[in-house]
Amino acid sequence: MIVDSLILGFGQFLTPLGLGFTAAGILIGLIIGVLPGLGPLMGIILLLPVATSFPPIPALGLLISVFVGGSCGGSVSAILLRIPGTPLAAATLLDGYPMAKNGRAGDAIGLAISASAIGGLFGGVVLVLLSPVLADFAANFAPPEFATLAVTGLLAIALVSEGSLLKGLVTGAFGLLLATIGTDGFSTGYRFTFGSANMLDGFHIVAIVVGLFAVSEMAFQIMDKDLTKAPKVEVVFPGFNSVIKVFAHWKNLLVSSTIGAFFGALPGAGGVISSFAAYAVAKSYSPDRDQFGNGAEGGVVAPESANNATVGGTLVPTLALGIPGDAASAMLLGAILILGYIPGPVLFEQQPEIVGGIFLVYLAANVFLLFVGILATPLFVYVLRIPKSYLIPIVLVLCCLGVYSVQASVFDLFVMFGFGLIGILLRIYRYPLSPIVIGVILGPLLENNFRRSLLISQDGYWIFLERPVSAILIIVNVLIIVGYIWKTLRDSKRNKQILEENA
Amino acid sequence: MAEQGIASGGPYDNAASYPRIVAIFMGICLVAQYLMPGANNAPSEIPEHASKESIGRAMALLGIFLTYLIATDYLGYQIATPVMIFSIMVLCGEKKLLRNIVFAIVSSLVVAFVFEKLLKVVLPGGIFQIHIPW
Repeated sequence: MIVDSLILGFGQFLTPLGLGFTAAGILIGLIIGVLPGLGPLMGIILLLPVATSFPPIPALGLLISVFVGGSCGGSVSAILLRIPGTPLAAATLLDGYPMAKNGRAGDAIGLAISASAIGGLFGGVVLVLLSPVLADFAANFAPPEFATLAVTGLLAIALVSEGSLLKGLVTGAFGLLLATIGTDGFSTGYRFTFGSANMLDGFHIVAIVVGLFAVSEMAFQIMDKDLTKAPKVEVVFPGFNSVIKVFAHWKNLLVSSTIGAFFGALPGAGGVISSFAAYAVAKSYSPDRDQFGNGAEGGVVAPESANNATVGGTLVPTLALGIPGDAASAMLLGAILILGYIPGPVLFEQQPEIVGGIFLVYLAANVFLLFVGILATPLFVYVLRIPKSYLIPIVLVLCCLGVYSVQASVFDLFVMFGFGLIGILLRIYRYPLSPIVIGVILGPLLENNFRRSLLISQDGYWIFLERPVSAILIIVNVLIIVGYIWKTLRDSKRNKQILEENA
Repeated sequence: MAEQGIASGGPYDNAASYPRIVAIFMGICLVAQYLMPGANNAPSEIPEHASKESIGRAMALLGIFLTYLIATDYLGYQIATPVMIFSIMVLCGEKKLLRNIVFAIVSSLVVAFVFEKLLKVVLPGGIFQIHIPW
């Protein structure tokens, strides 16, 4: 099955457009990752409207390679400026920046890019081997399993979101409610459209996501100081010998990539957790553990290999179950849906050429990452010198044109602006935004399967407990919530005791 | 939904049941958040160094952006975009007017070329219907 998919996928991928878009996506992803404040999610958001006007595999090649490149690009600014371009690179600066201060900036960037590419390829192997097995297992799922799985996915994202589980659940439920706006697929009645023809299909996911993330981000960016100042950074030239240097840390590479792929496959865990976990594990067994924090090569290899392996891992539930692992993979899932395919076991059964094409695109993106990343490093240094006063207006123009180009709708532009304001308010009050995206994406899956379950049920809601997989997932969900309540109450009691002792 | 007859009945006809369940769940979470100590203590994302001036700048950005969205529909992309880019650059503190004007015009033309010529997107022409024949 895997080999057949890959052979069929070659026909889709090995085209000038497929190869060109994958290479271009890596370059764009790296540039977006390098710029502090932007990241792989923003890259996917800005390019999604453009990509979906092309054939499926080149389109997904562009978006997946932006995800891969963006996950690595943040390390360049972390190493050179001590500012991680993305939160994914926060652990990289612990040793990357000291290496740069010791005159080894080129080595640090070369190690980061090589470790990212190799970690990413490891994640790719996990993706190719694991996702067909998971899809095969899920092929026997019925509506109750898919409904409870969607709830588990949402709960997992809410659990690890910034703020608290409750805030994550509030925004996740908000996303689910947004997904109900428009024409109901069962009764064909209109819900929450307020008589507006523009709302018959609900709000477009691109307008929602661009508003929530990109517009709100620009409003926060413009609050920074020194918007016109360009950082002073020297041009560096890493070499391909960094690949050999990375393999000197083969054990670290293997362990960190495994940690990354594992955390990626868990919905909600993501690259930030995996990179810090890999860093801590690598430090614990390294013979140079005293050097960690002072410019140890292993301290760059561990987080970078882990966070790029996470990308491969996160695509496993996204493709095999249709349950995204994080906001970026939710956007990829959205792109697959817009292109006319439904991620999950059906995709593996009925469109193996698309699955194979996605596998190949992901593997090729990591190979391109190595070459493009190392050769184009001087360009990234020039990009870092661009002041925010130039970037903010250009990003806003791209947001508008990206949203407008989806369905040539001015209404979508105002939806984007509205969600920009909502995004700002939610960020001020520390509500996480990712669960909204997951809620909007998973909403139709959850509602359709929830209502289908009730239609086929003889005992109403009991159908969710009568089926074993569904029952297990419900028990897991309940345990997560009970565990969270217990931990919150315990922490609160402990904090109260400490306050009383200090008083 | 009641007047459409989709607010009651079985799972097929009742389109109101699912959003009602989600809304009730959301309400429970909001109430629990205020009742549970420790669930609501995360700090705001506004930067610590944010002054009245920087918050004002963010508000002005949103004002310029909203004006741009309205103006794009009436005046068209080609007129509204350079003005918006220039305004935001000035808002950010860029003082070299000529350089700002050149950047605003050139960057909006480059972006228009990419979208109109390469991606075949027809950008809003406004009441003057300005479209560059690339």
